[in-house]
Amino acid sequence: MGLKFNNRDPVYMQVIQYFKIQIAKGTIEPGEEVPSRRELANQLKINPNTAQRAYKEMEEEGLIFTEGNLPSRVTKDDRVLRAVREELIMEATETFIQTMHSINVSLDEVVQRVTDNYQSHLEEGEKDDRS
Amino acid sequence: MIEVKNIKKNYGRREVLKGVSFTANKGEITCLIGVNGVGKTTIMNAIMGLTPIKSGEILIEGKPLDKTSYEKITFIPDAITMLPQMKISDAMAFMNDYYQCWNQKRANDMLKFFRLEKESRISELSKGNRAKVNLLLGLALDVDYVLMDEPFSGIDIFSREQIAEVFTSHLIENRGVIITTHEIHDIEHLIDKAVLLDEGVILKEFNAEDVRENEGKSIVDVMREVFHV
Amino acid sequence: MKNYVKLFNFEMGRFLKGYLALVGITVAVQVLGVVIASRSYTNKINKYVYHEGMAIDEFLSQFGDMSMYAIIHSLWIQGPILFCISVLLIYTLLIWYRDWFGKNTFIYRLLMLPTERINIFFAKLTTIMVMVLSLVALQIMLLPVLNKVMSSLVPEAYFMNLSFKEMISGFDVLTILFPFSFSDFMIHYGLGLLAVTLLFTAILFERSFRLKGIVYGILYIALSLLIIFSPVIMIAITEKSYLYPLELFYLELILCVLVFIMSILTSRFLLNKKITV
Repeated sequence: MGLKFNNRDPVYMQVIQYFKIQIAKGTIEPGEEVPSRRELANQLKINPNTAQRAYKEMEEEGLIFTEGNLPSRVTKDDRVLRAVREELIMEATETFIQTMHSINVSLDEVVQRVTDNYQSHLEEGEKDDRS
Repeated sequence: MIEVKNIKKNYGRREVLKGVSFTANKGEITCLIGVNGVGKTTIMNAIMGLTPIKSGEILIEGKPLDKTSYEKITFIPDAITMLPQMKISDAMAFMNDYYQCWNQKRANDMLKFFRLEKESRISELSKGNRAKVNLLLGLALDVDYVLMDEPFSGIDIFSREQIAEVFTSHLIENRGVIITTHEIHDIEHLIDKAVLLDEGVILKEFNAEDVRENEGKSIVDVMREVFHV
Repeated sequence: MKNYVKLFNFEMGRFLKGYLALVGITVAVQVLGVVIASRSYTNKINKYVYHEGMAIDEFLSQFGDMSMYAIIHSLWIQGPILFCISVLLIYTLLIWYRDWFGKNTFIYRLLMLPTERINIFFAKLTTIMVMVLSLVALQIMLLPVLNKVMSSLVPEAYFMNLSFKEMISGFDVLTILFPFSFSDFMIHYGLGLLAVTLLFTAILFERSFRLKGIVYGILYIALSLLIIFSPVIMIAITEKSYLYPLELFYLELILCVLVFIMSILTSRFLLNKKITV
C-alpha cells in the first residue's frame, strides 16, 4: 500500500477516505480486522499519531468498532456501509457535475458522455476477462 | 516533554538566538524548519549541553540537563561522531559499553534494515551509509527523546527514502523526536508540530494537522506566508 | 569510577601505535648508536694497536677507555629522548584537539556519554602520564642493556663498566629525567603532572571561548605560576625569609597541590558549563 498524500488536506482524513474507498470497492470486507495503529502507520508510511486520529474518527463515524481488547474491525452494519457508498458516489458525482457545469456542458451531452464512457469501460473489462 | 524557555546565545557579538521558546512532546515529531545559519543546530546543541546558552532555561521532563539525561535523550548530529578508523562493530561495542539503554537486538535489526556490514570501516562508507550508521547508533538506544540534525542533508534519494521509513516505524514510536531541516519534502506528511525559525527567532509554532483541517494550508503554505517568499 | 577506567583504556588504545613507534625508534637508534660508536672505537684500536703497534697503556692514555659515558651525551642517545619528549609534548595538545578536528568530531560522543565529564579530563591526563613514565622506565631499563651490548663489542681491556648513576652524571636532560633520589623523582614528575594539568586547563579555555579563550588560558597559567612562586617572590622583594628551607618546601608543596586542585575544578567547570562543539 502506498498513498500519495496531498499536503493540504489533513492526513488523517485522507486515510479515512482511503479506507472508505477500499470498503466500497470491497477490498476490505465488512467485519474484517483492521491493522493496528502501529502497523497502519508502517504500511501507509504515516505518523502513528495520524493513524491514531484516523481510527478515532472512524470509530466515531461507526466505520470501525472495537470489542474489548480485541483488534478493531470494520463495521458489519449495512446502513453504515451503504452510507459510505452513498457518500463516495455523491462526492464523485458532485465533483464531476461541478466541472461539467462550469464549462457549460448540457445535461444531454453529460448523459451521453457518461453512457459512452461507462460502455467503453465495460468492453475493456470483457476484453480483460477473455484474455 | 522538552521545554526550551527563552534561550539566548551569542557568538561573539552576533546574537544567534534571540529568545527562543518551544516545547516538544513525547510521542510527537517536532520539526524545526528554517534556512541554514538560522540557529537550528545551535538550539539542538544547546538542548544537548554541547554548547552553553547566555540566558534562558532548557528542561527535559522538568529537569535541567545532567549526565543521566544522556540515557533519556540522544542526539544524531550532522557529522560523523565516531572515529573513522572504527568498524561499525567497534562503534556498537563502544555504545554498548557506556550506555545502559543500548539495545543490541534493535541495533542488529537496524543493521539488517539498512543493509550495512558490521565489519565495514566507517571511513570507507558512502555519505548515505555513514548517515545511516549515525542513525543506528542513536536509535538503538532506548531513549525517550531523539534529536536529529539535518538527517537528510546531502544524502542520495534512496537513502533518504530508507531514512524517512524510520519515522513511520517502531523505531520512532512513542518517542519524542525533534528534527531540524531546511527541506521538508520527504517528511511533510509525518510532522506533528512545525516550528518555523528565522534569524534566531521563532516565527510560528503550529500543529500541522490542525492547520490543514482549520485553514486548509500545507506546512509549505504557512512557510511561504511567514517567510514572505 | 568504572567509566574513567573505560575512557582511560580507550585513550591509551588510541595512542598505542604512536607509543610503540616511539619505543621502537628509541631502542633502534640507541642500539645502533652503541654499535656504531663501539665499532668506530674498535677500528681505532685496530689501527693504532694492531697495525701501528701502539702499547695498550699508551692507547688508553691517549684516547681513553670506552664506556657508555662516551656516547650518552651524543645524539645517538639523546636524540631519541628529545624526539620522544617532543612527540609527547605535541600529543599533549593533540590529545584534545584531535577530537574536534580532522574527519571526526568525536568530541560529540565524549560529551554525550552518561558520565561525569571530568572523567574525560582524567583519562587524558593519566594517559599522558603513563606514556611519559613508561618511556622513562623503558630508558632506565635500556641503559644497562646498551651497556651490555657495548661490553660485548669492545675488548675488556678497553671497556669501562659504569653504574647507572655514573652513566647519567653530568648536567643535562638526563639528570632531570632520571633523578637519583626517589623524592627528586616525585618532585620532577609531580611538577610535570602539574604542568600538563595547567596546559589542559588552558586548552579547555580555548575550546570554550575560542580566541578570547587563548587569552584566558594564558592568564590562567600566569595566575597559577604567580601563586606557586609567591613565597619566592616575597623573599625576593622583602629580602628576608621568615621560613626555614624545609618549611618553604612544604609551603611550596601545599601551593602546588592547591593549584592542581584549582585546575581540576576549573576544568570541570569549563567542561560542564562552557565547552562548545
